[in-house]
Amino acid sequence: MKRRKCLSVLAAAVLSVGMLAGCGGNGAAENSAADGGTADSAATAEGSQAVTENAAGEEAGGTVKMLVGVTGGKDDEEMRLFVDEMEKATGLQIEIEKPASDYDQVMMQKLSGGEVYDLIYVSAGQYMNLAEQEALTDITDDVHASDILTNNIDQQEWDDITIDGKIYAGFNKKEVHRVVALNNTLLKKAGIDYKTIEPTMDGYYEVFQKMRQVSDTEDFYPFDVVLSEAWDLQPWMAAAGLKTGVLLNEDGKKYVPISTDEAAPVWEWFKKLYDDGLMDPSSFVDKTSDMREKMGASTQKTGCSVDWAAWVGLHNANAESAGLTAEDYEVVSLPGLQTPDGKYMLGKGGASLFAVPANAQNVEGAIRVLEYFATQEGGELLSVGIEGYDYVVEDGVYTHTEIGAAHGNDHGAPVPIYKDFVAPMGYNTGMEEALGYGEYASIEMTIPNEADYKEIVGKWAIKMVKGETSIEDGLAGMRQELLERGVTEV
Amino acid sequence: MYKKIKRYRGIYLMLVPVVLYFLIFSYYPLLLGVVNSLQKVKLLGGSTFVGLKNYQEVFNSAVYQRALRNTLVVGTGTFLLQFVWGLMIALLLNEVKNKLARSFIQTVTYIPYLLSWAVVGGIWITIFSPTGMINGILKLFADGPSQPVVFLSEPSYARAIMIFTGAWKGAGYFAALFLAAIVSLDESFYESAQIDGATRWQQIVRITLPQIVPTMKVVTVLSAMSLLRNFDQIFVMGNASINDRVQNLLVRIYNDGILEFNVGTATAAATMVLMITMVISFGVRKLLRYDEAYD
Repeated sequence: MKRRKCLSVLAAAVLSVGMLAGCGGNGAAENSAADGGTADSAATAEGSQAVTENAAGEEAGGTVKMLVGVTGGKDDEEMRLFVDEMEKATGLQIEIEKPASDYDQVMMQKLSGGEVYDLIYVSAGQYMNLAEQEALTDITDDVHASDILTNNIDQQEWDDITIDGKIYAGFNKKEVHRVVALNNTLLKKAGIDYKTIEPTMDGYYEVFQKMRQVSDTEDFYPFDVVLSEAWDLQPWMAAAGLKTGVLLNEDGKKYVPISTDEAAPVWEWFKKLYDDGLMDPSSFVDKTSDMREKMGASTQKTGCSVDWAAWVGLHNANAESAGLTAEDYEVVSLPGLQTPDGKYMLGKGGASLFAVPANAQNVEGAIRVLEYFATQEGGELLSVGIEGYDYVVEDGVYTHTEIGAAHGNDHGAPVPIYKDFVAPMGYNTGMEEALGYGEYASIEMTIPNEADYKEIVGKWAIKMVKGETSIEDGLAGMRQELLERGVTEV
Repeated sequence: MYKKIKRYRGIYLMLVPVVLYFLIFSYYPLLLGVVNSLQKVKLLGGSTFVGLKNYQEVFNSAVYQRALRNTLVVGTGTFLLQFVWGLMIALLLNEVKNKLARSFIQTVTYIPYLLSWAVVGGIWITIFSPTGMINGILKLFADGPSQPVVFLSEPSYARAIMIFTGAWKGAGYFAALFLAAIVSLDESFYESAQIDGATRWQQIVRITLPQIVPTMKVVTVLSAMSLLRNFDQIFVMGNASINDRVQNLLVRIYNDGILEFNVGTATAAATMVLMITMVISFGVRKLLRYDEAYD
């Protein structure tokens, strides 16, 4: 009997230990994953080493722990090299965690779990929400005290992220704007010089018709737009002189200009494009990735879309790497429709930032990293990557390695935040022209319920374009729902 | 009681790790969720107690009410169709005498259950797209050139599509459960029925179906418990034009909690999902007299 009891106690102990070992096993799993797992795990392993060394290295600036979404190396090996480069340049110990997927979710779980970071990658919307929750450190004084941060970055960029006079983050990259991208090969085939396109709704309608006539591609639609996400209607809404997103009226109340009756002519135009078979019906369900695929050289199922300036270059670069010439495929850009007073209006991306959490341990170190990102050297690391790995320099001339060419000059910032940044290998074909339209671009107001805005505008836009409701009723419905769900105040 | 515990203390001791596991990894987070639902939660730093304000917000929200309606309609519809579909597959498979053909068909019908919604959703989005298979078939029968139907942007088709695709994905799983029950039935029932001159149909209706009622009850109770837990399908296949008809509670909670950091409201809604699930589960168990069958 005694023996049985002993055995029971022993079994219980074994189970308990097993369970605890199971909990502890995560760490072991992480370590083993570092060998062949994601960039995330590798960086964590790297980071752990940095922490160990930090006892001695604290005086040299300590450790800066970063949670990143898009920044850094593309794989384990490159992430290690990326961290090495940053450490050399800043004199800090750098620890980077890069979740393999679901960044937003991971960030929220880590922050709510009390995990400590010195810099976290956030979008403009997240930045606003976190600042509102007092989850970020006010770094206004540090920014003003830094020559690099004040001199190397346009004041407008800082103004855009200042909330009630306070700054809580620095920049990951310079957010560029979106332009109208056009398939120039088709335009040439139709005998159209893109620079002569009349920037009116009628002008573009005529171009779309001609594009359709000359395209041999099955299921080709000259015009594509991601209507379900209200992505990006700005170059078209310019025809009515209206800004997309949410604005404040003269009483300081939020409203959505493109839901007003002034926007009706543009919505009518969209409907006409759909009714006449010029707009891709998939616009109602497609995502931006679908739109890009249709615009790309491999399919060419559309002739016109609105996308980031960088994507104009990427489409061309992808075609070039596939061995196509400009005769076979070329994308060019324009600033869209003219406003009633003869200008243009383009949408600029909300900032992509590195915020300093309220529980950051090394704010000074975080500021040094932000400063580094705002220099030519930091900008090169974030764009073209690591010397000897992504590119080589001979007699001052930068040349991509095979790996570097595949990484497309993007290691977090295709266009770095440093205002005088010189792209060492130039930009992809067509990108420079697209960047040139930046003077017409402005950001949309950052709102906490952006997801609701997109859903409501997208829903009513589709109803109007499909003719399920009249434009007048559709706009009234849009306004009503925006108000009911707290997106607008009037 | 105490004597019993003392007598079997060794065995009770063996339960300790399991109890600890559930306390730490299930009940503690659950309790934290309930606490959060009573607070205005800040991701970092202190939170403020707001009583039942978050629950009130969820109750009064037209968006949450709509999401609950969608969850129940799509969830119940999917379960019913999947149940009938799975049962039909199982009954038909039972009639296939060639073992190789039977395992081939069973594997083919079961595979969709193993795939994630990212894959299955992508397949159906393509099939329903303006250039997809269904529009291709419609085109064959069309008189002249016409606009393709964008099925996934039609609110009137939205729920039916979600129910159909959901049932398609899970029917093989239900079929496997039903078939396992069917093949274990006592052959002597069928032999007696054959001697009495019962047709195959009569055997299915009078013997097979009544005999697998306990399995049907298990399947129903398990499905009731996961009725409100559909997230992936709607997240992958939903879009702005049909969200009014299909967006469910979990997607709404994700939007509120993860995208907009309204952790208090999201946890209040999640706690309500838990309570509704409990009510549904107990209701279904009571209705099916589930506990009596296993007493």
